[in-house]
Amino acid sequence: MPIATRSGRSAELFSHEMEITEEEVNRRKAFLEFHKEDADALRGLNEVAQQYADPVIEDLYRHFLSFDETRAFFADPKVLDRVKRMQKEYFLRLTEGEYGGDYVADRLRIGTVHEHINLAPKWYLGAYNFYLRAVGTRLLEVMSKDPHRAFSTFLSLMKLVFMDIGLAVDTYIYARELTMRKQQEAIRELSTPVLQIRDRLLLLPIIGVIDSQRAQMITEGLLRAIRANRAKVVVMDITGVATIDSKVANHLLQTVSAARLMGAFVIVTGLSSEVAQSLVQLGIDLNRLNTVGDLQGGIEEGERLLGYRLVHEGEAGGTRPA
Amino acid sequence: MDPETRVPIGHEVDIVTARQKGRELAAKGGFSRTEQTLIATAISEVARNIVEYAVRGEIALSAIERDGRLGIMVIARDIGPGIPDLELAMRDGYSTGKSLGMGLPGAKRLMDEFVLLSVPGEGTTVTMKKWAR
Amino acid sequence: MAVPILKQGDVLIASIQAALSDRDLDLFKDELADRVGRFRARGVVIDVTALDVLDSFATRTIRSIAHTARLRGAETIVVGIQPEVAIAMVQLGLSLEGVSTALDLEEGLALLRPRTGGGSRLGP
Repeated sequence: MPIATRSGRSAELFSHEMEITEEEVNRRKAFLEFHKEDADALRGLNEVAQQYADPVIEDLYRHFLSFDETRAFFADPKVLDRVKRMQKEYFLRLTEGEYGGDYVADRLRIGTVHEHINLAPKWYLGAYNFYLRAVGTRLLEVMSKDPHRAFSTFLSLMKLVFMDIGLAVDTYIYARELTMRKQQEAIRELSTPVLQIRDRLLLLPIIGVIDSQRAQMITEGLLRAIRANRAKVVVMDITGVATIDSKVANHLLQTVSAARLMGAFVIVTGLSSEVAQSLVQLGIDLNRLNTVGDLQGGIEEGERLLGYRLVHEGEAGGTRPA
Repeated sequence: MDPETRVPIGHEVDIVTARQKGRELAAKGGFSRTEQTLIATAISEVARNIVEYAVRGEIALSAIERDGRLGIMVIARDIGPGIPDLELAMRDGYSTGKSLGMGLPGAKRLMDEFVLLSVPGEGTTVTMKKWAR
Repeated sequence: MAVPILKQGDVLIASIQAALSDRDLDLFKDELADRVGRFRARGVVIDVTALDVLDSFATRTIRSIAHTARLRGAETIVVGIQPEVAIAMVQLGLSLEGVSTALDLEEGLALLRPRTGGGSRLGP
């Protein structure tokens, strides 16, 4: 199985993740009552399909271009050409008689493309509907002597088309969920900003639930900030951490140790005495932690360590000259 | 199934080879830089274990997959004397060799899955896995 | 020799360029110890910027170097530990207890400069 890189997932990986196995496809076919006779009927339609492919595609795209929303996707004539060609291949495949693994993988890819370019299902469904009507009409023309056969062939086509739509829509949904999860991750990263409050002094306010994955993200963010800002002191405020049990405490201790390895001194603020006591009772060694009660005090301590001195104007020196 | 990369471990210079190959495979599998380093470090520790306690052994690296997630599997096999007291060996700080005794318990902390199988007189096999997030 | 060691005043600077074998690390340790004594160095800066892994053996070696240097009157500062390496080290449970650390060579040398009142109170 090919290894997919993070930026692009192969259709094979998608079909595997979504569990579109051969079994699953067969279940879908069974539910749609798509059997060998249907495949045969469609294969028998292939010659006719070759004939009507071009005019149907032209009609379809004329339809797209007459609606603002769908026209937007084909602004570039090169794109339009390419898509028309791909569309023709797609439609011809419907009557090629081969509806196994390869066919399915191909259909799944479409869903991911649609999600990627933001083509909402309604347009895709509308397009398919247009195609079915166009083909239906032509079928009746070609088989005018045997309208029953035309209809049953049309029904076979409909079964297959519905399977296609099902696969494409399922993939679209799946791809959407993936995108949303990635966005959520990005939000999580943003939720733990590292702020530079003075030259060489960073503030890291930690808020919310800390699991091992988030702890590592926070640590990575902090260490990169230490490197970028050449920080020598970090004030890590844990007032907003949801629950501090021994696991969370260990995560925090590791963050402190890692910062130390990069030459930064960490002051922990916001550790209440109750929490501290319960941690000590759990056997957590808090001795290496430099804690200061509140955030303000912690920042002042950090400034002091860096050699800053707070001077209040008007203190020593009396009034200023007018 | 992806081919396995096998690195024979007979000499301490092989430790670096094993972890570099591990890093390469991890990079291909989409692991972040930090995760690559965690994996390389874990490999370094178990490879060192082989060098110190066993006659010789090998590290087998392969890309794995489960439920759509990609991962890496490291199997460290040796034909050494085996570990007589597994519990003791997995305790932090225990060591009879050059390392700080962090080898096994440390590697376990760096990876997601860790299975240790040791038969005294026959050898030890450590199977570790890490999954990409 | 695997690790070039430079002398800057009474400070020795060693830049580890690439992954060293155990044997190289041992040789480095001995060489450094020798030079600390010979030049009566006051400080040793070990730059590990180029190292992508610091495992238990490397860490032990560094601690050993620092110990020996201290016995000969020199302070050791390790600089250049990369974020990924720092994270791996803490998760592995390794500590550089007793060894000072700084962000990079510049910061490390600054730490070794004799302090004259005022200024930053941060030291090893």
